[in-house]
Amino acid sequence: MIGLKHYLILSAVLFSIGLFGVLARRNIIGLLMSIEILFNAAALNFVAFNRYVHPSMLWGQGFALFIITLAAAEAVVGLALVLAIYRGTKTVLTERYNILKG
Amino acid sequence: MSEAIIFTLLAAVVVIPALLVVTLKNVFHSALWLIVSLTGIGGLYVMLAADFLFAVQLLVYAGGIMVVLLFVILLSGKPEDWKVAQVNDKAVAAFLFSLFFVFIIATTLFGWQIKTTLQEPRLTTGPLGQLLMNQMVLPFEAISLVLLVSLVGALLFTVKKKS
Repeated sequence: MIGLKHYLILSAVLFSIGLFGVLARRNIIGLLMSIEILFNAAALNFVAFNRYVHPSMLWGQGFALFIITLAAAEAVVGLALVLAIYRGTKTVLTERYNILKG
Repeated sequence: MSEAIIFTLLAAVVVIPALLVVTLKNVFHSALWLIVSLTGIGGLYVMLAADFLFAVQLLVYAGGIMVVLLFVILLSGKPEDWKVAQVNDKAVAAFLFSLFFVFIIATTLFGWQIKTTLQEPRLTTGPLGQLLMNQMVLPFEAISLVLLVSLVGALLFTVKKKS
């Protein structure tokens, strides 16, 4: 029988994968994709708690919906920033983004 | 029993592509694997009786965000960027930290007692709409504003300045 804890463990594994991507990835677009994985782990937690703790209400699903919307907004702004930075630096590797160093 | 089999399959469909997303050298392949992972999350939403979220996940994530992401990958970056190492010199520390994170969460969950209740699954689209328009109307309006501002911000960043 699959319970709440299975989903929480799966979500933690997914979150740590995304965390590794954010910490270690060199490519800026790969970094943004890792952030999407983090968002999804959080949303999965919301929906799992909704299903197993308060099944009569839908607040968890509502917040998961908000997370998806915020992820869309974040992706649009982040990718626009990536394009703007790429136009100036001609690279996608994050360690080259040191133009503020003076 | 069949529930456990489906959950295991979906978990594999979610986790293995996610691992490929953070390790593959070619970012384009990473993005394609991310679509598989996000679709697997949608399947988990179905298992959690969230049918509307499943549709939103497929439409917004696998449909919308990933198309934008693939466009940006094709617009930026050179093919030789995909041949260099894709992780920085902190990769080992990051890996150990991630492992430590999972370990902490798992040990915490192991001794955690929580009372769970289960109900028969029902369709959620109508009740979710009622919720968004009644109790959650303030965050709903706030998120609309955030979407509008992000749209304007994206335009502001990408339009070339004439100076």
